[in-house]
Amino acid sequence: MTRTKSSPDFILLLVLLILLSLGIIMVFSSSLWYATLPPFNDTFYFFRKQLIWALIGLAGMFVLMNYDYWRLKRWANLMLVAGIALLVVVLIPHVGVVRQGAQRWLNLGPLSFQPAEFVKLCLVVFTAYGLSRQLERVKNSFIGILPFLLLAALSAVLILLEPDLGTAVIVAGAIVIMLFAAGARMRDMAGIGLIGAAALGGAIWKEPYRLKRFLAFLDPEKDPQGTGWHILNSLMSLGSGGLLGTGLGRGHAKYLWVPERHTDFIFAIIGEELGFIGAGIVILLFIILIWRGFRAAVTAPDSFGALLATGIISGIALQVIINIGVVTSSLPITGITLPFISFGGSSLVFSLASMGILLNISRFSVYK
Amino acid sequence: MAPNTVFVRKRLTVVLLLSGFALFCLIGRLAWIQFVWGKDLENKALEVRMRDIPVEAKRGNIYDRNGRVLVSSVSVDSVYAIPSLIREPQKTAEKLSPVLKEDVSFLYRVLTRPSCFEWLGRKLDLKTAQKIKSLNLNGVFLLEESKRFYPLQTIAPHLLGFAGIDNQGLTGIEKSYDDQLKGTPGRIIVEQDAVGQDVPEPLRKYLPPKQGSSLVLTIDETIQQFVERELDKIVLKYQPKLAVIVVMDPGTGEILAIGNRPTFNSNKWENTPAYIWDRNPAIWYNYEPGSTFKIVTMAAGFGAEVVKRTDPFFCPGYVRVADRIINCWLDGGHGSQTFEEVAANSCNVGFVELGLRLGVKNFYKYINEFGFGERTGINLPGEETGLLIPEKDATNLNVATMAIGQSIAVTPIQLISAVSAIANGGTLLRPQVVREIRDGSGNLIKGFKPEVIRRVVTEKEASQVRELLENVVAKGTGKNAFIENYRVAGKTGTAQVVGENGGYVSGRYVSSFVGFAPSDQPRLACLVMVAEPQGGIYYGSQVAAPVFQAVARDSLHYLRAPETPNLKKPPNPFIYEEPRIKVKVPNVINYPVNEGIKMLSGSGLTYQLNGQGNVIYGQTPAPGAEVYNGVKVVLNLKPLEESSGAGSVTMPNLKGLTMGEVAELLRNLDLNLELNGTGIVESQEQPPGKKVKRGSTVRVNFTPPGLITFEEQPEKAPAASESIGGNAFVERP
Repeated sequence: MTRTKSSPDFILLLVLLILLSLGIIMVFSSSLWYATLPPFNDTFYFFRKQLIWALIGLAGMFVLMNYDYWRLKRWANLMLVAGIALLVVVLIPHVGVVRQGAQRWLNLGPLSFQPAEFVKLCLVVFTAYGLSRQLERVKNSFIGILPFLLLAALSAVLILLEPDLGTAVIVAGAIVIMLFAAGARMRDMAGIGLIGAAALGGAIWKEPYRLKRFLAFLDPEKDPQGTGWHILNSLMSLGSGGLLGTGLGRGHAKYLWVPERHTDFIFAIIGEELGFIGAGIVILLFIILIWRGFRAAVTAPDSFGALLATGIISGIALQVIINIGVVTSSLPITGITLPFISFGGSSLVFSLASMGILLNISRFSVYK
Repeated sequence: MAPNTVFVRKRLTVVLLLSGFALFCLIGRLAWIQFVWGKDLENKALEVRMRDIPVEAKRGNIYDRNGRVLVSSVSVDSVYAIPSLIREPQKTAEKLSPVLKEDVSFLYRVLTRPSCFEWLGRKLDLKTAQKIKSLNLNGVFLLEESKRFYPLQTIAPHLLGFAGIDNQGLTGIEKSYDDQLKGTPGRIIVEQDAVGQDVPEPLRKYLPPKQGSSLVLTIDETIQQFVERELDKIVLKYQPKLAVIVVMDPGTGEILAIGNRPTFNSNKWENTPAYIWDRNPAIWYNYEPGSTFKIVTMAAGFGAEVVKRTDPFFCPGYVRVADRIINCWLDGGHGSQTFEEVAANSCNVGFVELGLRLGVKNFYKYINEFGFGERTGINLPGEETGLLIPEKDATNLNVATMAIGQSIAVTPIQLISAVSAIANGGTLLRPQVVREIRDGSGNLIKGFKPEVIRRVVTEKEASQVRELLENVVAKGTGKNAFIENYRVAGKTGTAQVVGENGGYVSGRYVSSFVGFAPSDQPRLACLVMVAEPQGGIYYGSQVAAPVFQAVARDSLHYLRAPETPNLKKPPNPFIYEEPRIKVKVPNVINYPVNEGIKMLSGSGLTYQLNGQGNVIYGQTPAPGAEVYNGVKVVLNLKPLEESSGAGSVTMPNLKGLTMGEVAELLRNLDLNLELNGTGIVESQEQPPGKKVKRGSTVRVNFTPPGLITFEEQPEKAPAASESIGGNAFVERP
């Protein structure tokens, strides 16, 4: 196999940096008021943190951009074991840190870290590796599909136990898209679809709060003080933006009205302050990013690179669609960040790291 | 080249297209939210994110007719907390507790309530407010509010009423004109964050409050002060249960002053029992008007043309109506008199006669037209209607007693309105307390004009009544109301209090005087009512007439009412020329006539012989009764030989007497009393006139006065009636 190394996809890199910069600015704007209140008492608290995480993430990205992706194959098994282990560790009482009712974090000295974000990358790498080894097997339901499905199910269940429905859906979804891209038969895909729908339904019905959130998305005004609060405030924030928005930093929703305003619901603040133009541009940038990501997959010189790029960019695409879908009340509420934009260390660092891998794959594009 | 590239490429394109499609859908959704739904959402956001602080409207002032302030509002501080801003509720509560004089635990509970606004104290005094300010606590704020202030304190509180803690009118004018006085509260709308904190550069909106309207009352503060002064004197002198003075402009129906006792201070109404401030006796108290009601009877008589001023009347001292004897207040009667004299004498018999001439239909027509039995419609809360026997149930006896102001109850405001109608020439006007309503900047919103209810009698009929009433003051029972250089018309009244169960209550009276002046061109009408004066004096002529005189005199001078020069008190009034002294009727029974007469004249009494003989075997009034000097004592004579001598006495009629009176009477006759029951005498074992042995025991049955119904008044023999002076059907001037 011959690989010609050249410069990474410039458009992809540019769009990514634009999104990242915009994200840092919006984190600053949306957290402005919250950060001035106790216990932070520091206007720049979240801005500074996000900046640091972005620098760490960019560093990781540049390292991986120059680390030839096929070398990851040798780490694939280890990454799988480490990823699953971390998911188990985070669930051990007193080891995993509980925030807002979810046990998703591990403390590493002064920093805390969400294993699920790392596991997402691990599973993509392992699946790409596993599928590309013997690509023909994917035609076989039992030896080609089932092991990966079980793996997806296992990790999804572990993530669900935290609980973190959004990430679970994305991890499982990315693996399924990789199976599809690898050439799984349509009847297998249909079966997976049915199983997935059943699992999602089951997860929603099992936990009453998920059902409530689901209903809130259907009729946010039914319970405006309770579960409809998030979505109603998100909509009011978007609605106040209009075409041009209130102007950067001049929104009013950030005065604690929109919950999770600098993390999961940051898009609502973008819609308010930058208007339809700003929010629309953000979506268009993501469309370009996803297009360039899939282009990298298509032009990858080998199936491992193609599947790896597919997994990475599918995860990003799912995350963007679900996040914006939730903020615009098009999907039931699921706590998930908007990649590169939302505040959040683990998410940002691992998203940028995976983009490093993607950029590296783009360097070996077979079409120029 | 990667294997299956075309295949992978195809499938990846599908995934890319699906993702792109989903994202373009989201752009569409976003457009819909921001453009189509946007305005609604934005308005809703403003609604939710704004904190609404109500701004109290300044309550309108109340002025007297000359623009003097009767009620105003002053600024005071209230203290409130925004619990979410309080970091240390326990400490804050501990600091506030001694200043606000509230429990620490209570304050702690308030400070930790999950709300964005909590009152800690309303309308505090200056010191407390300053102390709180100096504590400088987080989340605790002062707010300027206004508080009602009544600078005149105890002047006219029933009329003005008062407002509660939220400046809402609770009684009096404050209540009936609350809508005009309160104004419309304004709002400050300030943006806040989701937990109620102020945000930097908030959106703001100020909707200024609309100030309440001011009222200009018909009340004249000066006349009101005269009224209050006289009421204070009444309280000092008589400690009555209730006293009311109302002054009205008879030409317009405007109330110039309205005063009540007991009274209170509008600034401290909470310290006064509710029964004092929750009703305004001037419009609420139902009482039997007694002789003052004869004004209505007179007017009805002239109106229905059943009497002329010169019509002859004869008063034998009593009149029999449907088996009932109604006594004149003057024992022995007034004899022959014209109607003019009947009026001046306030002769019960004459008025009963007039009532019977009128009959139910005619009399009720005028009673109704003068406004009795219905509210006058004065715009004050809590007006009563008085009590009127329904016309269909009324008997001749009712008409007879109503003619002298009994078996009917009126309110002071009804009576003065009716008398004002006589004063102004026959038109009943609605009594009014408000002249003008002015807006916050003093512009006239609404002015009140005299409101004619109806014409009741003609000018001529009214002037006839006026002249007769002038006689009452000039030479009749109303002499004490005479004012030098002013022609005064008026009428006294003394009535018994109707007890809770309908009967009269012995020893409890309502003394009143109602009149107007100057009688040819009345500037004011005034009613004085004193319920249950203490201390033995209770005649309207003695208790109420001098009060009327004082109020009317000072008011007329103050109003610069034109005088009638050289109008002096008539040197020789019609009756009551001599000072009236109360004397005790001596016991002359069984005395020889000559000696008896000597004893009577020694007491200042005159006599009238009845029958033949030289020994007195009966006397009326009975021995021991208190009467005024000059009263005729009727002596029943009998030849000596027929008399059973010193060993026996004549049984007097005891019916209607109280236990004490009976005891004294029988003791004078050397009879022993055997009591049966309580109250007043219902029947006696030995019939009146029967000879009984001295020293024997007489059984007398008593019954509580309440059990004798309204229709069946206890009848008393003439002898007894004068002795207590308060018999149901005996009217005293």
